[in-house]
Amino acid sequence: MLLIWCAVLILACLELSTRVGTAPICSYGQAGCHTPSLADIFDRVIQQSSRMHGISSDLHSEFEQYFFPSKNLIGKPKCHTHGIVTPADKENAQRLGREQLTEVILRLLGAWGDPLLQLYRSMSQDQNQDFNHYSSNKALEISDMVHELRDGVAKMAEKMKLSGVLGNTVGYISPEGLVPSSSFSFYKHGELNSMDHHDLLYCFRRDSNKIKNYLQILKCTTLPGLDC
Amino acid sequence: MWRDLGLAVLVLLSAAVESNSTSPPGKPVLLSCRSPEKETFTCWWEPGSDGGLPTTYRLYYERERLEGVHECPDYWSAGSNSCFFNKTHTLIWVDYYLTVVASNALGNATSDIFKMDVMEIMKPNVPENVTLLVVETEDSPYLHIRWEHPRNTDTESGWVTIKYELRIKQEKNNKWKEYMSGTQSHFSLYSIAPGGVYTVQVRCKLDHGSWSEWTNSTNVKVPNYVQNERSFWILVATLSAIPFMAAMCILIVKRENVKQCVLPPVPGPKIRGVDFHLLMSGQSEDSTNALIINQNFPLIVGWKDQMEEYLIVTENDIGPPSDASHCQKRKKSLIIPAGFCSDWEIQCKSTHIQNDCAGGTKNETGNFPKNNKSLSGESLSYMEPSKLQKQQCLGQNFVNTEATDPSPLNYDNAVKPFTNSGYVDIRKHVENTQEVNVKQVDYSRVEDVNGDNVFILNNKNLAFNSSGYMDFQRQEEKLSEDYSRVKEVGSNNVVVLQIQDMSADTKNPHATGAHKMGVCTELINSEYIDTIPAPPLM
Repeated sequence: MLLIWCAVLILACLELSTRVGTAPICSYGQAGCHTPSLADIFDRVIQQSSRMHGISSDLHSEFEQYFFPSKNLIGKPKCHTHGIVTPADKENAQRLGREQLTEVILRLLGAWGDPLLQLYRSMSQDQNQDFNHYSSNKALEISDMVHELRDGVAKMAEKMKLSGVLGNTVGYISPEGLVPSSSFSFYKHGELNSMDHHDLLYCFRRDSNKIKNYLQILKCTTLPGLDC
Repeated sequence: MWRDLGLAVLVLLSAAVESNSTSPPGKPVLLSCRSPEKETFTCWWEPGSDGGLPTTYRLYYERERLEGVHECPDYWSAGSNSCFFNKTHTLIWVDYYLTVVASNALGNATSDIFKMDVMEIMKPNVPENVTLLVVETEDSPYLHIRWEHPRNTDTESGWVTIKYELRIKQEKNNKWKEYMSGTQSHFSLYSIAPGGVYTVQVRCKLDHGSWSEWTNSTNVKVPNYVQNERSFWILVATLSAIPFMAAMCILIVKRENVKQCVLPPVPGPKIRGVDFHLLMSGQSEDSTNALIINQNFPLIVGWKDQMEEYLIVTENDIGPPSDASHCQKRKKSLIIPAGFCSDWEIQCKSTHIQNDCAGGTKNETGNFPKNNKSLSGESLSYMEPSKLQKQQCLGQNFVNTEATDPSPLNYDNAVKPFTNSGYVDIRKHVENTQEVNVKQVDYSRVEDVNGDNVFILNNKNLAFNSSGYMDFQRQEEKLSEDYSRVKEVGSNNVVVLQIQDMSADTKNPHATGAHKMGVCTELINSEYIDTIPAPPLM
C-alpha cells in the first residue's frame, strides 16, 4: 500500500517537472514568451556572420588553389555590390552612425541572397568540374545563412528601434532596389562560368567580412562592454 | 705610331672594363605587406642587383576606386626597402596593386605586380606585459596569467577582434601545451605541480588574419610549501606508526600472556575426591571406591607432591601381611589429602611410605611424631599427621598401624602408601563384626583410658573391612571415634595414645587433658573433614 502511494507520488513529481520546461522563444513577442535580450541577439548575429565569412573564405581559397594557381594573374573583379557605399576605414565607419550602418548591413545582406542561390545551383550542376560535392554544400550553407542573417538583423533593428537606441530612419529595404542591375551579370539567369564563380566567391568573401565588421562596430557603439 | 695604337687599345680596354661593372638594376621583388591593426600597413621589397651604380627604388600603386598611379607616401618610417601607408592612405576591402621600380643611370627594373587587400594581410604585434602569478588557495594553487593587447591596437571600438592563444611548458618537459583564450586577456591554469617551473608564451590574431609572433618566454616557479605541508603530515604519520607497530609486535610475541590475561582459562569441572589421573590410568577400583567413600568424607585426590601416609595399626597374631590381597585391601583406606597440616610437633611433612607387602619396607622415619617412641624395628605406630589437625577421640580408639617388619608384638603393621596425606586410620571394629560383611581386620581395642593415656589391652582381631573406609563408616555409628596419637606402644600389645584436647581452630599440639571421650573436632585447613559424630568432650 505504501509502495503504491510512493510510486504515485514519484510519477506526479515527474510529470510536474516535465511540465515546467523551457520557455519557447517567440518570434512575434507573444505574451508569456521569453524573448532574448539585445545583447544576446547581437552575439548570435555576430557569430553567424563570422561563420558565414569563414565558410566563404574556405570556398574562395579552394577555388583559387585548384583553379587559379597564381592570384596575381587574375584581372580586376567587379562585384555587383559595388554600388553600395560602404565605409572602408574605421573613422568613416564610426562617423556613419548606427542607423546608416544598420542600413548598409541590411543592404549588403539583401544583395547577396539571390546570387548565392544561383551560385549554388551552378556549382551543383558543375559542368566545368570546378567544384566537388562538398563545395556546393558549402555554397548552399552560406546561401541559407545570408537569408537567416538578414532576418536576424532586421529583428535586431526592430528591437533597437523599440528600445530607442535606433532612430526611425531605417526603413525596409528591398533587394531589387539596392542593386543596380547593370553591373550585375548574375541577374541574367544565364549560366555561370568559372570566371563568374571566382568573382562571386571573391566578392562575397569581402562583403561578409564587411558585414561582420559593421555588426561588431554596431554592437560596441550600442552596447559597450567587455567583448569590445 | 705603334705606341699610340697601344695607348688607344689600353684606353679602350679600360673603358670596356669599366663599362662591364655597371648595368641596369636587377628586378626587385615585393616580399610581403603587413597591417598590424587594420589601420595602416607596410610593404617590403627585396632589391635586385644594383648594377654597380646607385639605384633608387620607387613603389607605385594603383588602387581600386582610385584613379591613377600613386607613389608610396612614406619610404622611411618602416626602414629601408619598405613603404609605409598611414591611415589616410589605407582603405580596407579595396585592392591595392603594387609595383617597385628600381632605376639607376643605366636603366630601370620593374617588379611584378603585387595585389593585396588589407583584410588579408593582418598580423598583429605581440601581446605585451605577460605576467604570471601563482595564486595560493587552500585546496590547490593555480597559475594566473595576464597580458595586455599589443600596442596600437584598438580593441574597444569593435573595429578589430583580437583572439589570444598561449602555450605553457613545464621546465622538465620539452612539449608545449596550447590553450585558446578567446578575447580574454587572462588565463588560469589549474593543477600545477609544486616546485615546478613554468614557461608561458602568448600570441594573438586579428579577425581572420595571421597569428602574431610568440612573446618572449616568461617563467615562474611554483613554491614548494604545499608539498612541505604534505611531507610534514607524512612524517607525523610515520612517526606515530612506529610505536604502534612496536606495540603490535609485543602483543604478537606475548600473545600467550595476553591471551591468559584477557581470556583466563576456565577451570574445568572437578569432582571432589576423584583423582582424575587415577581415573585415566584405569584404576577403576580405587576411583570408584573413592567415589563411594566420598559420601561423607570428601576426598581430595591427586595431590602428587605430598604423599599420604596411611597407618594401619593392627594387632593380631597374623604375621606381616604377606599376601597381596590383604595388602591390597588395606590399601583401600582413607586417603587424607596432603593439605592437612597441624602445628603439632609432628612434622608436617609428607612421607612416602612404601607399602611393599611383598617385601616389606621399613617405614620412613620422617614423620615420627615426637612423642612417639620409636620402636626398634618393631611395629611402630606413628601417625603421620602431615598437616593434619587431628581430632582426637577418646573412647574406643583404635589405632591401626601396620609395620612391615615382623614384630614381636605381632602387630600387623602395614603402612599404606597413599598420596600426600598423613593419616591415621583408627579403625573401629566392633565385636559384632558379623553385621557387616567385613573381612578380618586387626584392631586393638582400647580398653581403658586412664588420664591421658589410652591403653589398648585387647589384641583382638577385629574384622577388617574390605574397604577400610567402609568399615570406618559402619563402625562410626557405633563407636565414637577419634583419631588419637599414639604415644607409645607398649610391649604387651599396648599402644599408648595421647589424648589431645583439640579445638577446631586452635593449633595446640600438646593440649592434653583427661578425656573420657574422644573429642572429635573437625579438621581444619583441609578439604578433608572427618565428620565423625562424637560427643564433644570439651
